[in-house]
Amino acid sequence: MNPLDVLGEEMDELVNSFSSEPIVGDLNVGLTQYTFWMFVAIALLMIVVFVFKKKQAAAGMLPKGRFMNGIEFLVEYCRDDLCKGLLGDSWRRHFPFIASVFFFILANNIVGIIPGCKPGTGCIGTAAALALVSFVYFIVMGVRSKGPIGYLKSLAPAGVGFPMNALVWLIELFSTFLRLVTLAVRLFCNLFAGHVVMGAFALLSTLFLEPLLQGFSLTALGQAGASAFWLAILLIIYAVEMLVAVIQAYVFTLLSAVYIQIAESTEH
Amino acid sequence: MGVIGYGLGVVGAGIGIGLAALGATSSIARQPEVEGRLFTVFILASAFVEALALIGFVVTLIA
Repeated sequence: MNPLDVLGEEMDELVNSFSSEPIVGDLNVGLTQYTFWMFVAIALLMIVVFVFKKKQAAAGMLPKGRFMNGIEFLVEYCRDDLCKGLLGDSWRRHFPFIASVFFFILANNIVGIIPGCKPGTGCIGTAAALALVSFVYFIVMGVRSKGPIGYLKSLAPAGVGFPMNALVWLIELFSTFLRLVTLAVRLFCNLFAGHVVMGAFALLSTLFLEPLLQGFSLTALGQAGASAFWLAILLIIYAVEMLVAVIQAYVFTLLSAVYIQIAESTEH
Repeated sequence: MGVIGYGLGVVGAGIGIGLAALGATSSIARQPEVEGRLFTVFILASAFVEALALIGFVVTLIA
């Protein structure tokens, strides 16, 4: 029996298992497996914050140990690289928003990478909600700094003649709404695709090991060797996914910061 | 057929990320002091390109 024959069915089952299933209630009002793990991620994040606060109160402002230095490094990285580097003088106002988005997505992605857990950001609903929050935030910031009419006008670049001006304005308006879609889809697709690929290699690894468990033969031994090879690839992809979890949190936050900066900038 | 289509889509994304890496590496070779800032830009550009390939992958699986 060739293990590759059953791979198609197993893959369909794997992809189906990624769709949202309600644990409590139904899909409209209830808790799917993704939202459940999202709450787990939020709880973990809050525990980390409270433990940090308690340790800081005990140790004073001087960070001690790996845990406190690690958290401080992350927060400082977020502050210096994402906020100060992009937003300039107004970083202090946006730092709470930027940092919450970054740590929320990071916690979700890292929880999702643990075998058996699901990423809260790996369903389109959570990703779309996050993108909507970011979208509303940067529009509100633009309106606040320039006024509603001024913000709408600032979509078109200054110094362009009349007919081209209107066309560019329309394109810019369209691309502003497109940001909402791309932010959500990028986050969702990265998490979803990564988990499907990891699942596919885990499936390959188990399917190729199965003949050896049923009875010893030379082909079964060869297939077990292939299984070990798939397992090695799975481990490599797992490492890559850990990187992706951090990079996607970074990219989402960076893009939000860039959009805020564009909305607030006076020269355009 | 869907898988073949996805493979075709990946060609574009591969060229895109390759060009981004080419630009980043040659710029760092010329001006090593801008490496930190270039890394950010490179990751950002790669994320844009990679998202297209991933949309293709997810659409292949769902459709």
